[in-house]
Amino acid sequence: MTPNRTRVFAVLAREALSDALRRRLVLAVAVASLLSLQLVDSCTSCGSATLVRDGQTVTLPEVAGFGALAVMVACALWTLLLAGFLASDHLAEPLQDGSASLLLARPVGRGHFALARLAGALAIALASGALLLFATGALLHARQGLPWWPVLPAFAACAAGASTVGALAMLASLYLPRVATVLLVMMGVTGVAAVNLAGLFGAELGGLAAAIERFGPPLVSSVALALREWIAPTAVPGDPQLLALRQIAWMLASAALLVHGFRRVELE
Amino acid sequence: MLILELAAVSKHYGRRTALEGVSLGIPPGAALGLLGPNGAGKTTTLRLLLGFTRATQGRVELRGRSPLDPASRAGVAYLPERLALPARMSVRGFLHLHGTLAGLAGSELAREIDAVIERTGLGSRAEDRLGGLSKGLAQRVGFAQALLGEPALLLLDEPTSGLDPLGVRDARDWILAARARGASVLVSSHVLSEVERTCDHVVILNQGRVAAQGPLGQLLRPGESLEDAFVRSVRA
Repeated sequence: MTPNRTRVFAVLAREALSDALRRRLVLAVAVASLLSLQLVDSCTSCGSATLVRDGQTVTLPEVAGFGALAVMVACALWTLLLAGFLASDHLAEPLQDGSASLLLARPVGRGHFALARLAGALAIALASGALLLFATGALLHARQGLPWWPVLPAFAACAAGASTVGALAMLASLYLPRVATVLLVMMGVTGVAAVNLAGLFGAELGGLAAAIERFGPPLVSSVALALREWIAPTAVPGDPQLLALRQIAWMLASAALLVHGFRRVELE
Repeated sequence: MLILELAAVSKHYGRRTALEGVSLGIPPGAALGLLGPNGAGKTTTLRLLLGFTRATQGRVELRGRSPLDPASRAGVAYLPERLALPARMSVRGFLHLHGTLAGLAGSELAREIDAVIERTGLGSRAEDRLGGLSKGLAQRVGFAQALLGEPALLLLDEPTSGLDPLGVRDARDWILAARARGASVLVSSHVLSEVERTCDHVVILNQGRVAAQGPLGQLLRPGESLEDAFVRSVRA
């Protein structure tokens, strides 16, 4: 009997999620998410100020957008780092402790197994990211009058970025020890985010930074671009459609690399 | 047609040779005992058959397909030597997962789970977490997942490891019962007496090469035990 592939993936993904939920780290993630939300709450509580700019009174939403954008980018960055951190051992650990070998001795494709493990790690990271981004969006809408709907494409961009980071972290974990993978994730994500932000502020970039800005994953710039309405009339550089295409291309390419890499790994 | 076959297979890890020119096969319904001292290449053979690793040279087939094709493992059950079970999962949950991956569903899956729990003597521990089981009980769980869905081929690596004498006898009965319904079996073991009781063909590996192979009756000289034949082949 050969089980249906979709059913196999669903079963493995559910098991990967259960496995992720069984880890003590998830409790720490939940606590950190709630503490971050409390911080966001205090950051967005300035709701009734009267502001004067160049002698003219301006409404709060007109100036609040920049701060709101910064808070949302910070929430997205947390989600990206969390995705990379969780993915850094969610495939490597069952391979090292031998528990994966029983599952892979079934008629299960390696690609299905790797993607199911990625889905399990991403589910936790995205649950935390959704809580932070949507709750922040709701607070900003209620307190500062910013439109809430840009949070939806911002979350989609964040999810695509988290998928890219998670897949690449999982791929690296097949070849590197956990500590090295986590360090690589932290350096990679913060490095790309810094380049993305520098590009958004119109900085002149050269060499590797310019290449990353032009061809690399738009981890933070895609989130900022999705929220551009919050800082209008200030323009955010970049074509949203092109950036979305690049984001999707990175997401698919990283997943394909993970599957390819895992198929070539020799199992114990 | 052979249910599994290795034809002139070599496997090298860098400069180290794990297998060199190994050829073996199992016809449907037969039971093959894979013997050899530590490091002879028994586990590497199983890893090749399951697609966990690729042969450096030669051809490996499982149920007529390349082991790299997941479909080759349909109807194949595996019990590893080092059984790592997810500690927080229940016995029943674990069997449900493996039954589903073996292609069972619905009432058939529930019936099969109940049947293997009963057969392997896990009835009173079915809802227990795997992490709380003794080594012997964990090995029974390993057998239970291997017996789910009446597989056509059982690949067993040191199957009696961790079992008490009663468990060893039960394991032998499960293997013989699988054979009786027509399943093929490959047993890799150090326990020669168990191989002698459950298998009709034997392959003795030594330093990655086939030192001797054939039907048990032909391999043994008059008055010779399998242990004698094993020592003779390995020291030759």
